[in-house]
Amino acid sequence: MRLLRLKAEQLRQFREPVEIEDLDAGINLFTGPNESGKSTLVRAIRAAFFERHKSSSVDDLQPWGDSASAPTVELDFEWQGQSWRLVKSFLKKKRCDLTVDGTVYSGDEGEEKLSSLLGYEYAAKGASQQRHWGIPGLLWVEQGTGQEIQAPVGYAGQHLKAALGGNLGEMTSSTGDELINQVAKERSSLLTGTGRPTGSYAQALADEQGLQGQLSDIQGRVREYREHVDRLGQLRDEQARAEADRLWETYRQQAKEAEGRLAEVMAWQKDQDRDQQALEECQTSIQTTLDLLNGFQGQQAELARRQDEKVKEELAQADLEARKPAREKALAEAVQAHEAARKTLKLAQQHQQRREWAREREGIEADLESDTAKLARARELHSVLLENRQKRQSLDIDPQVVERLKDVTSELDRLAIQQDAVSTRLQFDLTDDQSVTLDGKKVVGRSEHLLIEPGEVAIKGVGTLRVLPGGEDVAEIARARQNLTDEQESLLSRLRVTSLAEAEGRLSQLRELQQAIQRDESLLNESAPEGLEALSDRLRLRQARKDELASQMQALPEQDDNSLSLSRAETRLESAQQALEAAEAAKQKLTGDFSLAEQSLNRAKKEWERLNNELQAPDRKQRQKQAENRLIDLRVKQRSLNEKLLERNKQIEQAKPAVLEQDVERLNRSADAAEQQEKKRSRELIQIQARLEAAGAEGLEEQSAELGSELEHAIRRRRELERRAKALDLLNTRLREHRLELTRQLQEPLQRHLNHYLQLLFPEASLEVDENLIPEVLIRQGHGVEERGKFEELSFGAREQMALISRLAYADLLLEAGRPTLIILDDALVHSDAARLGAMKRVLYDAAQRHQILLFTCHPDNWRDLGVTARDVEVLQG
Amino acid sequence: MPRFLHTADWQIGRQYSKFAPDDAVALAEARLTAVERIAELADQEAVDAVLVAGDVFDAQTVSDRTIRRLFNAMAAYTGPWLLISGNHDAALAESVWTRAQRLGAVPDNAHLALAPDVLEFIEAGFVVLPAPLTQRHTQPDLTNWFDRAETPAGLVCIGLAHGSIQGVLAEDVDSPNPIAADRAATAQLDYLALGDWHGTKRINARTWYSGTPEQDRFKGNDPGNVLLVDIPEAGAEPRVDVRAIGQHPWIQMTERLTVSSDLDQLVTKLKQQPEKAVVALRLEGEISLLGKQQLEDTLSVAEARFRSLGYDLSDLRLLATEEDIAALHADGYVGQLINELRDEQEGDDGEAARDAMAILASMLLEKQARGGGE
Repeated sequence: MRLLRLKAEQLRQFREPVEIEDLDAGINLFTGPNESGKSTLVRAIRAAFFERHKSSSVDDLQPWGDSASAPTVELDFEWQGQSWRLVKSFLKKKRCDLTVDGTVYSGDEGEEKLSSLLGYEYAAKGASQQRHWGIPGLLWVEQGTGQEIQAPVGYAGQHLKAALGGNLGEMTSSTGDELINQVAKERSSLLTGTGRPTGSYAQALADEQGLQGQLSDIQGRVREYREHVDRLGQLRDEQARAEADRLWETYRQQAKEAEGRLAEVMAWQKDQDRDQQALEECQTSIQTTLDLLNGFQGQQAELARRQDEKVKEELAQADLEARKPAREKALAEAVQAHEAARKTLKLAQQHQQRREWAREREGIEADLESDTAKLARARELHSVLLENRQKRQSLDIDPQVVERLKDVTSELDRLAIQQDAVSTRLQFDLTDDQSVTLDGKKVVGRSEHLLIEPGEVAIKGVGTLRVLPGGEDVAEIARARQNLTDEQESLLSRLRVTSLAEAEGRLSQLRELQQAIQRDESLLNESAPEGLEALSDRLRLRQARKDELASQMQALPEQDDNSLSLSRAETRLESAQQALEAAEAAKQKLTGDFSLAEQSLNRAKKEWERLNNELQAPDRKQRQKQAENRLIDLRVKQRSLNEKLLERNKQIEQAKPAVLEQDVERLNRSADAAEQQEKKRSRELIQIQARLEAAGAEGLEEQSAELGSELEHAIRRRRELERRAKALDLLNTRLREHRLELTRQLQEPLQRHLNHYLQLLFPEASLEVDENLIPEVLIRQGHGVEERGKFEELSFGAREQMALISRLAYADLLLEAGRPTLIILDDALVHSDAARLGAMKRVLYDAAQRHQILLFTCHPDNWRDLGVTARDVEVLQG
Repeated sequence: MPRFLHTADWQIGRQYSKFAPDDAVALAEARLTAVERIAELADQEAVDAVLVAGDVFDAQTVSDRTIRRLFNAMAAYTGPWLLISGNHDAALAESVWTRAQRLGAVPDNAHLALAPDVLEFIEAGFVVLPAPLTQRHTQPDLTNWFDRAETPAGLVCIGLAHGSIQGVLAEDVDSPNPIAADRAATAQLDYLALGDWHGTKRINARTWYSGTPEQDRFKGNDPGNVLLVDIPEAGAEPRVDVRAIGQHPWIQMTERLTVSSDLDQLVTKLKQQPEKAVVALRLEGEISLLGKQQLEDTLSVAEARFRSLGYDLSDLRLLATEEDIAALHADGYVGQLINELRDEQEGDDGEAARDAMAILASMLLEKQARGGGE
């Protein structure tokens, strides 16, 4: 398809007609600044094709403010050797005339022809929108939408496939996609995505399984019911047979018989026990008799033994008797020696005593001498002491009073001075013949008086002058002095002295005396600490002791030279003592032994006598004879009993009492068991009967059959759904496989064209398209690795470039399918850098070899090297 | 001149699991209706007794309601009913019979012959020797005792037994319970009424199987009858009248479809079948996708007409003809898939392929119907 001429009038900016002729078969470049009319031209072409001439929604086509205009577009183009002319007016003059090689198609007819030629739709109502644009929507890029490719390809999809399908022959299907959707929907109601049953199919499976379970349950119960019926029949038979046989009665009878037999045997056993007892008694008697006879024989031997014993005892006694005299002699000697030793000891003790007393007397004599001297001296001291004490008595002076006196005297002296100082001084200086009396005393000449108290000076012929000493002090001092003087006098009288000096002389005398007394007292104490009396008493006592010792010593013998010492005498006595004791013990033992021997002898004699008497008894012979006879009788009895026992034992063994007992037990038990079984059977019968009646009422087999039916239906339904699911699954898979195959066949040439352009931009790059033929991934080789970039993640500029390449590739495909291609680019590739733009120009130039391209731009400089002359839109309007 | 109605194998309580629920219920009901019809016939024909030769019940544990309904269905005939137990309802220690007695459902005129004892009907002039089954299966011939039984002279003597006649019905017998073929002769019976075989069958002049009164399986051995038996006098040969009484004939059909006109013939054949029939239809051959749609319509019509219509199309191959594909607008790969599936019908997964093809065809037809409506 090649556009030859375009004319527009009363259309937006083109109030006046604008005509472009001689359009090139390749690239046509239209330049001009903004609002110069480039977009108006594009809009004119779009309106001519997309908008229905009858449409009233195309007000935008009218020039601004000119509602009376009739926007008109005229297009001349060539297609497959035919000349097409389209004249289309809108709004005020709604008209469409399409002339194809002289044949006119007017109105809707013309429009339908156009839409099927290019592959787009008209809007049912209102202005045409992107979704109606089909293939032109893909090839005609509006300003600012160059990077968009998904939506345009989507809207063009059906037309593209229909158009390209021609090449693929019978592969495409007009109903394929719809069928796939329907099959998938139907399938999803039965199977999940992974092919597991769902919805009514899953329900059918569950129903079947549930019924299967119920059925097998009820079939189990039917089986159980039948088993019970059989058991019931069996029990009834058994019961009838048991009632007929009455086995337990037979057993009871047999048990009774066995019991009778057993009782008989038990009686034998009793007899046996009795005889056994008798036998044992008989054997005991035999033993006793034998013992008696043996006893008789034993006594004779015993007598001989007793005789021997007696003789032995007599010998022993005699031996002891012989040893007696020697013992007694030894004892007497020992007694003598002991007496001698005792006497020697006593003498030694007396010598010892005498020596001790002599020593004591010497000591006493020495003491007596010293004590006598001490006494004499003590007596002397004592008399001095007494004398001094008397002296002291007479001195009798209290040192404290003396001290007081001293104090008073000095105080008085002090007061006198004080009085002198403060008392009123009355000085007289009388003429020689004159006198006055002072307090009655005559005063003449010159004198001075101290007045302590008021004084009266009588002057003859004058009267009396009363002088009153001033102040209290004078009076007080006088009073104090008086008091002290009184005390002084009292003290002196107490001390019986006249002056203080005298008192002090006497006090010193007293002190000397006191010291003498103390010294003498100390000396006396040393000589006679306990007093003179005690010392003289002691002296007397010592004298008495000395006298006593003298008399005592007189009583004791004098010591000769050869007398033994005390210790040796003691030792000698001690050994004599020991010898004596040993001799006495020996004597005693012998006496003891002798008396023991005597006792033994007596006993032996008695025993011998008793035995001898017994043996000599008169009935002894008779008794022995009797015993011998009894023994013979007993032996006969023993034999007969033995025989009897043996015989009866055989009898009992043959009767087998243990087995008889077992028989009784066994038969009784059998009878019990038979009865028990009968009872048990009756119980079971009743139980089973009851159970069967209950189960029978449920109609188990009928239920089972009904469930069977239900199951049959459930299985049928499940099978139907299974078949349907399987068939749908198969259809789903196969339809998709076919479509995929188709897509692949469409993809392949598109891919080829894409890569053709892409090589001009990126060597060794490839652009993959998805099953909807939309570019998906750009694969580039960089730095030896493969870089994969998703289309929507590419930069704006790259997306625009890829989108344009895709559009050109589609155009190539359409061309191959024999479809018209016209490419319109309004302000394309404005986001490409210089290098990419350069490459894209090569792409466009290459595409223009096959397609007509109308390129509008406001950047003429960018497109100078496109190899075509630009047309300035402003100039066109001229 | 005693007159009897001989029947057997009522099999009350039988369920028809292979059928659709409402059909199954109706068929089960029909067995009770058959008893009602027998009672009416017995009343009309004024018979001296109705002889029921075993398998009265289908199972031992039918519901109480079923037991009561059976005896209620017998109400129209007030004369004696003589029933013996068969292998399905053997007189075991506990059985459907003991239950019926416990329920008090058994009317006085129904004689349950559950033990081998002579039953005398002196006034009516006959005696009955019953051979009821007391076990599910027995090996000995239960009618042996007939030979030794003492019966009053001059009375008509009837044997009543359930089992298979030896040497005659080697196959297709329900149980091994054997009966000597010459029993009627050896026991000097005037008539031996037998049950167990579901078709009406004459063994000899005095020995008959009545068959079941209501057909219950696809087997054309003349079921659905009762026998009206007249015995002029003791020793005389009986006159046996076969009376149809069943409602639902069971019909099995196998048809082959090759050309489109075969479908028309099928329609005609189906129309010829009685209305209350239970039909099992099996189709072979091949049919086009469009023809299949037509066939389904036809079967749908037929289903409404019969008591029950079951069909088996597993041997019917689906054809996708050029016309089919064109008519279905199955262009492009869809058409190609149809052809693939058609060829795969023969393979291992043929069923899935055939089903898939049918689904595809129906979807396309539906789509077309929608398209046409636009």
